[in-house]
Amino acid sequence: MAQNNTGVHERPPLSNARLAVLVLLGAETMLFSGLIGAFLVFRVGNVTWPPPSHIGIELPRLVTGINTALLLLSGYTMFQAHRAIQGDRAKQLRRWLLITGVLGLLFLGIQGSEWVQLIGKGLTLQSGVYGGIFYVLIGCHALHVLTAVIWLLVVYGLAVAGRFSAEHYVGVDTCTIYWVFVVALWPILYVLVYLL
Amino acid sequence: MKRFFILAAILILFMLIVPTYLEACPGCKNLDDPINKGFNWSILFMMAMPFTVFGLVGGTVYLHYRRANRKPTDQETM
Repeated sequence: MAQNNTGVHERPPLSNARLAVLVLLGAETMLFSGLIGAFLVFRVGNVTWPPPSHIGIELPRLVTGINTALLLLSGYTMFQAHRAIQGDRAKQLRRWLLITGVLGLLFLGIQGSEWVQLIGKGLTLQSGVYGGIFYVLIGCHALHVLTAVIWLLVVYGLAVAGRFSAEHYVGVDTCTIYWVFVVALWPILYVLVYLL
Repeated sequence: MKRFFILAAILILFMLIVPTYLEACPGCKNLDDPINKGFNWSILFMMAMPFTVFGLVGGTVYLHYRRANRKPTDQETM
């Protein structure tokens, strides 16, 4: 906290924790840019996609589309959790956080079952460029969702312990920023990998 | 120092005279080729990303500070 000329302590307009999360997300964006860049080289570079060696392996577009809707819904519920703590409604905060966590876990569960089916059809990390870029790109995002869910569970635990109020909610704030990033990134990956 | 500038000038002159033409991007010579087109899109996309990231982070910090400066402090309102 900075001290002004009247001797009163002032909060910085942007908290250090928020700034740290923004810098982290900047680095994460660059990581995903590199992966998307690699995907673009393979996707645009191949006239037939999936490559001839993988013809017959269809990505589950519909189920993933529904899964996308679930993740987008979790973005809305996280936003509601953030609004709840801004209004000092601790009970609603806990409820919205719980719903968000369940939606995140559901997303991961559906994603995992899809992967099991695709591996059964022969699409593996070693099966070629198609499988490699698919699992690295989608897997990297899934890992981020898992991190976000763990973070959310920690925040939920703190909310149950009554550690947040309308004045102090930086934990909810930073978790919301990270969650929104993970949610906003997914439709881009879905369109690129599943629909193009 | 004088020798450095003379050497640099000779080097620049050499670089200007020797090649018939220069291409900075090895993958962009023929855009009819799909793999070159893929590299081209990838380069353009990744080139845009640092500006997007710095713009968004910088913009967020700037907006927070501007909003804080606009708000009157408690002492001013009293």
